[in-house]
Amino acid sequence: MTTLLELTKISKHFGGVRALHEVDLQVDSGEVVALIGDNGAGKSTLVKVVSGVESPDTGEIRVRGRNARLVSPRAAAEAGIRTVFQDLSLCDNLDAVQNLFLGQERHGSIWNGRRIRRHVMEEQAQRILESLSVKLRSLSTPVVALSGGQRQGIAIGRALISDPAVVVLDEPTAALGVSQRGEVLDLIQRLREQDRGVVVVSHDMKDVRQVADRVVVLRLGAKVAEFRRDEYRLPDLVSAMTGADEGNVDEGNVDGGADR
Amino acid sequence: MSVATRPARVIELAARGHRSIPVLVVLVIIWTVFYSRSSAYLSFQNITNLTLQIATTAILALGVVFVLLVGEIDLSSAVLSGVCAAVAAGLAVNGGLPLPLAIMAAIAAGMAITFVEALVIAFGVPSLIVTLGGMVILQGLILVVLPPEFTVSLGGTSFARIASTAVPAGISYLLAAVATLVFAGYRLFQHRERRSTGTRTSVATVLVPAVVVAVVLFGGVFTLTRQRGLPMPVLIVAVMLLIAWYFTTQTRYGIHLYAVGGDREAAQRAGVPVRRMVIYSFLILGACAAIAGMVDASRQLGVSVTSGAGPLMLNAIAAAVVGGTSLFGGRGSIWSAILGALVIGSISNGVQLLGLTTEVQYFATGAVLIIAVAVDVVLTRGSLLPGRR
Repeated sequence: MTTLLELTKISKHFGGVRALHEVDLQVDSGEVVALIGDNGAGKSTLVKVVSGVESPDTGEIRVRGRNARLVSPRAAAEAGIRTVFQDLSLCDNLDAVQNLFLGQERHGSIWNGRRIRRHVMEEQAQRILESLSVKLRSLSTPVVALSGGQRQGIAIGRALISDPAVVVLDEPTAALGVSQRGEVLDLIQRLREQDRGVVVVSHDMKDVRQVADRVVVLRLGAKVAEFRRDEYRLPDLVSAMTGADEGNVDEGNVDGGADR
Repeated sequence: MSVATRPARVIELAARGHRSIPVLVVLVIIWTVFYSRSSAYLSFQNITNLTLQIATTAILALGVVFVLLVGEIDLSSAVLSGVCAAVAAGLAVNGGLPLPLAIMAAIAAGMAITFVEALVIAFGVPSLIVTLGGMVILQGLILVVLPPEFTVSLGGTSFARIASTAVPAGISYLLAAVATLVFAGYRLFQHRERRSTGTRTSVATVLVPAVVVAVVLFGGVFTLTRQRGLPMPVLIVAVMLLIAWYFTTQTRYGIHLYAVGGDREAAQRAGVPVRRMVIYSFLILGACAAIAGMVDASRQLGVSVTSGAGPLMLNAIAAAVVGGTSLFGGRGSIWSAILGALVIGSISNGVQLLGLTTEVQYFATGAVLIIAVAVDVVLTRGSLLPGRR
């Protein structure tokens, strides 16, 4: 197992507001790390730092052991980190193939007007969606007509086009029904089987319990606890998030975070 | 989500090009109604007249479709078409410039003006306001461009021949045959491409469209060459549609065009150059406006302060929307320009042929437009009821 993503002492301030304070985070291959915390805990800021939307004030980011400067989403993608945002950023009027390849189309030269190589894209799309066990009736259906789970599948599939090492999912199960939630958790399972590193931001304890190998708890911009799978009970997470019971939080730190 | 499935099915079908079918049905109804009142309505001569009458609207509507597809609107292009016609007529007739050069200059002028408008829009000023102001400014500009007597007569000049030229029947059939073969060949090429990667495909994807294209092209040529030959404006419209079809459906440009109209932020995040796509659309509109203006001037045998005025702008926007292009961006096709222009042209042609009063024409055209936009709203929102989603 190799370490794919390693954040060291990441800090970020917005004006006088401390959004992140010396946060460490490590993601190994084939590992799902859940990032949880109350509103304003710094989850979104951390996701933005990792996806290249925001640059940290201080701290170090290493991808596959190499120093990486994630100055833009493009730079993050090139370094091997792809982020699927909560709103999925799909164009409803385009079909699955067009959405999967949007901005990275396979096309011909300027001489035929950059003609789309649709057959190549369809074949790759088929493969990627199969690897995620996403089933579509037709690849040329506009995604507006698809279910929430299928749309999530396409958004994740798009992230996989460039074969990234780490996939970051921002609230992937929010606003989904029970069966579609199950579909999305299966998608995360597929990503793990492909030996990618997965970071899942969530506030749903049950999802976290079901899918995460490790849980990192943020509170007020700092990492307050880290648990390995089966090392915690749900109340441990809640108390770590809210800081209601300091005893539990300290215990969590000792259990999960001591080796780092 | 289950609430959304039924409208979603409709949207799915609509978005796959079946949106042309309601327009075709409306067209057949209009033709049947007028034909039942007067058999002259569907005579070869009247159909040829109709195509000449709608050529200007169709060309302008084609430009408007590109602007609507990226989620913008334009109100200035009709007056712009008058300005461009004045530029071309001034250079060719009064200035003695060769016609092709004058035409190029007019197209360049149209694109330059829409480019300026697009730049202002790219800075964040709503296109409705920019082009509304642009329309007023252009109404002033046409007075500047026209000579002191405010008209240029084109009778008997080479300029007049743009609209009056008729392509002989033999050459027209040859063109139709070549176009059909090229199209069928292209579909066959795509079919074999798909088969090479093991994608599901069948020979029907070649044969069915090829037969449809052949029927439309040969039927059209047969109908329109009964009089003197194929009118040049019809050929111009056909060539423009062909080019527009290729770029909007077969290229990366086309995907980005629809992406920008579908969800601007998502397109931006995916790396689509959103502002550039908006500017491209306005440049295309500028070229279309110039061509529309010149075709119209050539048909009217003159340019004056009223060129591009009157109902042209509203007709062009109405044609695009009636033909199935959404006012909200991202949905529709270039075919809506010709189909919508046919609907609106068929109504006014029929009204004039039957000697009905002008108000009937206004009532009918307005009603068709409102119904078309209502359909658009239903398809966009899934319901016409306010406040539901």
